[in-house]
Amino acid sequence: MADYERRNSNYRGGGGRKRRYRDDEDYDRRPQRRRYEEPLFVQVRRQLLTLAESAARRVEDDIVGIAKTVAENYEDEELRDTFINISLDLVLEQPMKIPFVAAATLAAQNLKPELGAEMLSKASIALQRYIDSGSWRETKLLLRFLGGLQSAFEGDGIFPLLEELFARAVDLQTTSSEDLLGLELVKIILFTIPYVMSSPATGFESQANALLEKTDIIASTPHALVDLVNTFSPDENKEAAGPSVISLLQGQLQAEAGKGWELKCLPRPWKDVQEREPDEQKPFDVVTKVPFPQITVPNPVPNGARPLFPEVYISVYANQEVDTVPPTSDISSSLLREALVDTINLLDFNRVATAKYLIDVDCYYTPGIFVKRATPFDRMREMAGELQAWKPEDVAVDAVFSQLYQLPTPEHKLVYFHSVLTECCKIAPAAIAPSLGRAIRFLYNNLETMDLELSNRFLDWFAHHLSNFGFTWKWSEWVDDLELPAIHPKMAFIHGALDKEIRLSFAQRIKGTLLEPYIPLITEGKEKDTPEFKYMSDTTPYSKEGQELMQLIRKKATDEEIEPVIAAIEEQAQGLGVEDPKVPSTDALVTSICFVGSKSLSHVLSCIERNKDRLLAIGSASQQARCQIITSVMEYWADQPGIAINIIDKLLNYTILSPLSVLEWALIESMAAGTILSKSYIFEMISATVGKVTNRMRQIVAARTQPGLYEPQLSVLDETLARERADMQALFKFIEDSIVSVAAGSNDEMMERGDGSGDLPEDAIIRQWGRRWLRVFRRKAAVEEAFINDALANATPVGTTAPAETEAADADIKIADADDQ
Amino acid sequence: MSLLSVNTVDRLDRPSAYYVGKNKRRRYNDRDDDRGREEDPVDKLRGATTLYVGNLSFYTTEEQIHELFSKCGEIKRLVMGLDRFNKTPCGFCFVEYYTHQDALDCLKYVGGTKLDERIIRADLDPGFEEGRQYGRGKSGGQVRDEYREEYDPGRGGYGRAYDEQRQREEDEYGAGR
Repeated sequence: MADYERRNSNYRGGGGRKRRYRDDEDYDRRPQRRRYEEPLFVQVRRQLLTLAESAARRVEDDIVGIAKTVAENYEDEELRDTFINISLDLVLEQPMKIPFVAAATLAAQNLKPELGAEMLSKASIALQRYIDSGSWRETKLLLRFLGGLQSAFEGDGIFPLLEELFARAVDLQTTSSEDLLGLELVKIILFTIPYVMSSPATGFESQANALLEKTDIIASTPHALVDLVNTFSPDENKEAAGPSVISLLQGQLQAEAGKGWELKCLPRPWKDVQEREPDEQKPFDVVTKVPFPQITVPNPVPNGARPLFPEVYISVYANQEVDTVPPTSDISSSLLREALVDTINLLDFNRVATAKYLIDVDCYYTPGIFVKRATPFDRMREMAGELQAWKPEDVAVDAVFSQLYQLPTPEHKLVYFHSVLTECCKIAPAAIAPSLGRAIRFLYNNLETMDLELSNRFLDWFAHHLSNFGFTWKWSEWVDDLELPAIHPKMAFIHGALDKEIRLSFAQRIKGTLLEPYIPLITEGKEKDTPEFKYMSDTTPYSKEGQELMQLIRKKATDEEIEPVIAAIEEQAQGLGVEDPKVPSTDALVTSICFVGSKSLSHVLSCIERNKDRLLAIGSASQQARCQIITSVMEYWADQPGIAINIIDKLLNYTILSPLSVLEWALIESMAAGTILSKSYIFEMISATVGKVTNRMRQIVAARTQPGLYEPQLSVLDETLARERADMQALFKFIEDSIVSVAAGSNDEMMERGDGSGDLPEDAIIRQWGRRWLRVFRRKAAVEEAFINDALANATPVGTTAPAETEAADADIKIADADDQ
Repeated sequence: MSLLSVNTVDRLDRPSAYYVGKNKRRRYNDRDDDRGREEDPVDKLRGATTLYVGNLSFYTTEEQIHELFSKCGEIKRLVMGLDRFNKTPCGFCFVEYYTHQDALDCLKYVGGTKLDERIIRADLDPGFEEGRQYGRGKSGGQVRDEYREEYDPGRGGYGRAYDEQRQREEDEYGAGR
């Protein structure tokens, strides 16, 4: 492992090349191979994979060129397979290229109908499979591809299939008002129509309009969950709350129908080719029409692995003085966003490629709808009115943020979206950095009303992003906000961001990146690697015992050696009339563990491990002492709360702490009239704690719903599930009950502060924190409940016994095995 | 979700060329004695939950590593790479997750990004074994830090072997005068 850059042993000096610079050792022993002619399939493969990627080439010519090569060499099987397979791969992985791939297929079909037939057959087999497995994104993309071939089909082509999907959607919607699968089907239909209408096919306006009329009622009715997943709670900020993707698109399509299906952003790569040589067969003129492939839509349609939620359209470039991205009145906003989002989510296995396609977005749409890359915002301001064109970087960045801010959870881990933005910045720093700057400004200015989970995602991304770019940020912009009260969302953000930056780096480094007014935020304590041990000071109660205990823990003393010191503290405490003597002894123990383990995470973990039994005993003995464990950790690491919550997390894993005890500590013991809700690390700690519980719950659900499970295991798992589910519900109830009073302003501590009127200037801010917390945890509770209910709906019912035949078959196998031996 | 067997762009969650190459070399050398059990080295990475992380600064702490790598999932174990003699960090570590998927996601999303302002590298690893936490270079650190011509303040300056040589030359030069 360590020698992976091993140097050649017989290094001959003279600045000789090191081994590690060689590409492939197997090759350099051989003589250079003679240049050879590239086989056709390799050439076509490359042309297809890079289709439309270069602004320097005319994509129309490439499309016709590829189609001709493949059609003229139809007997070359490898070439044929390459063409078909890569085309379909592109459809399923790089959606922005679908119109170009469809055009190439159309041209190939016209030159060689057999080739078209083969492509169609393969595409329809794949489509059928995706429909049967409920893979709706893939279904959507293949339908889009087929929609692009509409002109080659007999009769109404793709429309009867869309009608059938719609019929299923209606069934689902009438069965349940909470249905989301029907909505998903309607979304697929709506996202197919524009690609049919922008294809070379003509005369389908009436079919499209008829379909749109029917989808209206489903698409325009808001789903009950849509407010719950909005970037902005409509209660906090009605104006900023975004429309649902599906209702937005429905309206845009209707507007587009009224404009004769202009669909100006979608490329028409067949248009420019047609008038070349008058006598030649025109590549996109259909010779013979074929029937649309036979596809069966199961009834009812299945749902795939990914749970569905309503989606909301958001833009971090809304309400700028100049539009740099299409406004929601323009259908381009939905079409560009949807294709970019699919690209991002499909290519998560190569963030560099994702970033490249995002930066190249202007290659895949009608030329002229974007301004030149890296056009400064100020320049766009000057151009405003001259022409309506969008800034490609903003459109791309907006799409990434829409995923980073997807509620309840995006398709991939959040860090993926961080990494895509990082790569974009690396590829085109001058173009992307200013776009990110404006996005950050928008998010920062809307911190007060943004969903709390999202403002924490913003915080996490912001710090992580800066850590990749030397921690440089224009802090000067926010200097005035330093006057705000500490619990103001903006101040909380600044504090939280600096803490996160320090966690990825170190205090001194971060201090060096800040302007003078921010320096007091990096306290002296943050710069200390090892916080002071409070028992070193004689004024601290139990200081002598505390020091003694620390020494014992440091030299890994046995439990018998530690016990007398603990007893001494408790005895002393009893004499002083302390209500629960276990509290001071726990404080001394845990603080000592923190101090001795302060060198690193593994140090503190091994300290905890050595004293695990004692800690476990405390945890189960007294509620106050259990709370004290958390208090001691949080106090010892008060200046570096990131370390504290990490230790709490590990204590949960050791079951020294229970999830409920963490909640009790934060939301009762430390509530401080609700002010604790402003601290981002507290939100992080509570989210992580709740996340542990819900993860475990999901594992149990997975165990309970696995196929082939029979009694008696079925009942055992079912009981576990019921028990854990009740615990989880109790946890959510606890959060609800503790915070609801803060949100309503009726929290006792809050009432006791000041004159009890609840009108202190900060009270309104605290109440808002309460409301935002409630929203997040109510959503989490609803999502988990829905998940469990959905999963159990299809689970084997309790009481099912194993079918008799299977048992017999099993027995046979066992006998056969025995015979072998 | 996709049923594709090939991808239109390379995947970043594959074992590195280094891993494949190293094992190819080893197999070649072993050919005479154990021809029988020729297993594909990549097979050992099936289900792997551990990553080797390289090009760290000597000053990067466990907490920093934890902070970044836990973005891909809960960390089960973190083993710092240490200088064989001084037992101080020498610029690499092993990160073990609970699931294979978390390890793959880490390759895709964290490998090649910056930690402590250095581009770090991550490679899928068949699993930590006692002893592997120590540098294998002559002077105790990683081999790459023995022979490095460039000055790297995060990894102890110049390569140690060169440093020694430079020191010797300087001393001799001084003595000669």
